Amino acid sequence: MAEFLTSKELAIKVSICLGVLVVVMCLCALVGTQNISLERVFDGPGQKPGENIDYEIFARVRLPRVILAALVGAALACSGVVLQAILRNPLADPYILGISSGAGLGVIITILSGISWSFWGGSPIGIFAFAGALITVWLVWYIGHFTGKSQATSLLLAGVVVNAFFSAIIMFLTSIAKSEQVFSTIFWLMGNITDKELSVLWVSAGCIIAGIIVLFTVCHRLNVLALGQEEAKGLGVDVARTRIVAFACAAFITAIAVSLSGLIGFVGLIIPHGVRLAFGPDHRQLLPLSAIIGAAFLVIADTIARIIVAPAQLPVGVITAIAGGPFFLILLAKYSRKVSWLK
Amino acid sequence: MNTIIKVENLNFGYTRQDTILKGISFEVIQGRFLAIAGPNGAGKTTLLNLLCGLLRPKAGSIRIDSAPVESYSAKKLAQKVAVVRQEFVPVFDFTVAQMVSMARTPYLGTFGFESNTDKQIVNEALEATETAQFALRALGSLSGGERQRVFIARALAANSPVLLLDEPTSFLDLKHQVGIYDLLKTAQLEKGKTIVAVTHDINLAAQYCDEILLLGANGNYHIGETKDVLSPEQIERVFGVRTFVGKLGQEKFFIPLGKFAKYSGQIAGKPHNIQQE
Repeated sequence: MAEFLTSKELAIKVSICLGVLVVVMCLCALVGTQNISLERVFDGPGQKPGENIDYEIFARVRLPRVILAALVGAALACSGVVLQAILRNPLADPYILGISSGAGLGVIITILSGISWSFWGGSPIGIFAFAGALITVWLVWYIGHFTGKSQATSLLLAGVVVNAFFSAIIMFLTSIAKSEQVFSTIFWLMGNITDKELSVLWVSAGCIIAGIIVLFTVCHRLNVLALGQEEAKGLGVDVARTRIVAFACAAFITAIAVSLSGLIGFVGLIIPHGVRLAFGPDHRQLLPLSAIIGAAFLVIADTIARIIVAPAQLPVGVITAIAGGPFFLILLAKYSRKVSWLK
Repeated sequence: MNTIIKVENLNFGYTRQDTILKGISFEVIQGRFLAIAGPNGAGKTTLLNLLCGLLRPKAGSIRIDSAPVESYSAKKLAQKVAVVRQEFVPVFDFTVAQMVSMARTPYLGTFGFESNTDKQIVNEALEATETAQFALRALGSLSGGERQRVFIARALAANSPVLLLDEPTSFLDLKHQVGIYDLLKTAQLEKGKTIVAVTHDINLAAQYCDEILLLGANGNYHIGETKDVLSPEQIERVFGVRTFVGKLGQEKFFIPLGKFAKYSGQIAGKPHNIQQE
């Protein structure tokens, strides 16, 4: 007898994971250079501002940052899941189609041009990164369609070429820039979660969650699309439409994540793989669980980045790469017999 | 008797200049088993891809259930026609049950969960193809013959009146070749499926198929009852190879004769007349 994924079973799994995520987020918000007590935090709501420092730190400093890390982690993990499916390539990650170099170019142009106006209380870096990312993705999509019928391969190649070209421009601009400009560019490129305005946070949260929900509605079609476009068409999937919806949403949430936190590597590659190894390749389950586990992973990584060299802070990208690599190898070693593309 | 597939004056070529299919017209009656055979490059797979709407004809028309193929949405067409392509292993490790369930994609709602009817149909398809025992195993861990049964299970689970298959037995040993055709014949006889299979094996076609379409490399074709169309003369004309014809009861079988065939000396004098009862 076959076993089927039911909506009830999925709802239970998602609820459990969400519960764990909330606990992880609260615990991580309690940890930091300044010790705060859980008891005092619970007393916080209702007290006058300034009366309860522990609550202020928890609610106004650490919680927004933890939420930001969770959002970015969820967005990157989902985007990785979707791109691996539509490109039918287990090596795909959110940055494979040029988002990284496009955003990087946007950022270095902002820094070099010395634009100082602020937008929505934040620096213009995020806006330029967002614009750079989306323009590059559009360019890659256009080149990919222009060059080939086998779209998965031509998209990948277009992504590689555009990435290489833009990286070269980034290197050129870096080499002519002043040293402090170079420093802030590199710091951004490493991926960094810092405090953001609450309004920015809520808007981004809305966009990312909406994107993930739209992606969830195409998940059963992604299962079929992962078999290839001829198969997908034979199984009644409107390939072009599904691909555009999935690709646009993935690019959109990645661009938001990048504009919030720079280039955080590894999350979009290893989380989808880890979840797939543990729970199987059914995207209806893979996508929501990857979102939650990706969120938890980045929250923990960011907490480590905050405290490991306190009072200084490391870029979180360093932690995800250092922790993610070995963690991923352990997973692979454990499950490699289950995975056909490793044989 | 309803005509379920009607092809009229079909022309197709991959570039503007060339045509590999020229002026092809035929009909398939509901519940019949049609083989498409011919030399490599004659356009057999191309014809199959035209029938399932993956390619568009340059001229002429293809009607499935009396409506033109291009008038169907992808979803509606998948409910009419199920396709089994040449064997492949997917990139991600879907289980057999997941793979077969994908046949229900055109019937699913917004969030894509299977209803009880869907589950029942999938389970029936697994039972019918004797793949239920592998239901929870990864597709990549099965042998070629088992995998092909899974793809046929998927085609059955689509509940479509028409089944199209592209060389369903090309990588299989003798036992599995016969097994696959037994399965298809059962689906034809018990469920009334209309089956169109591209094949290189004219002996299997002779044994199982009601009709055969012989597609020549130069664009000419012959279609008719298998027993009428398959003759040594016709095979030599289409495939360019001489054959030895034997008869087992009512069934003819054909053995191709190459340069080194043992009795080629004897046969040379009277090429097509060595029939043994």
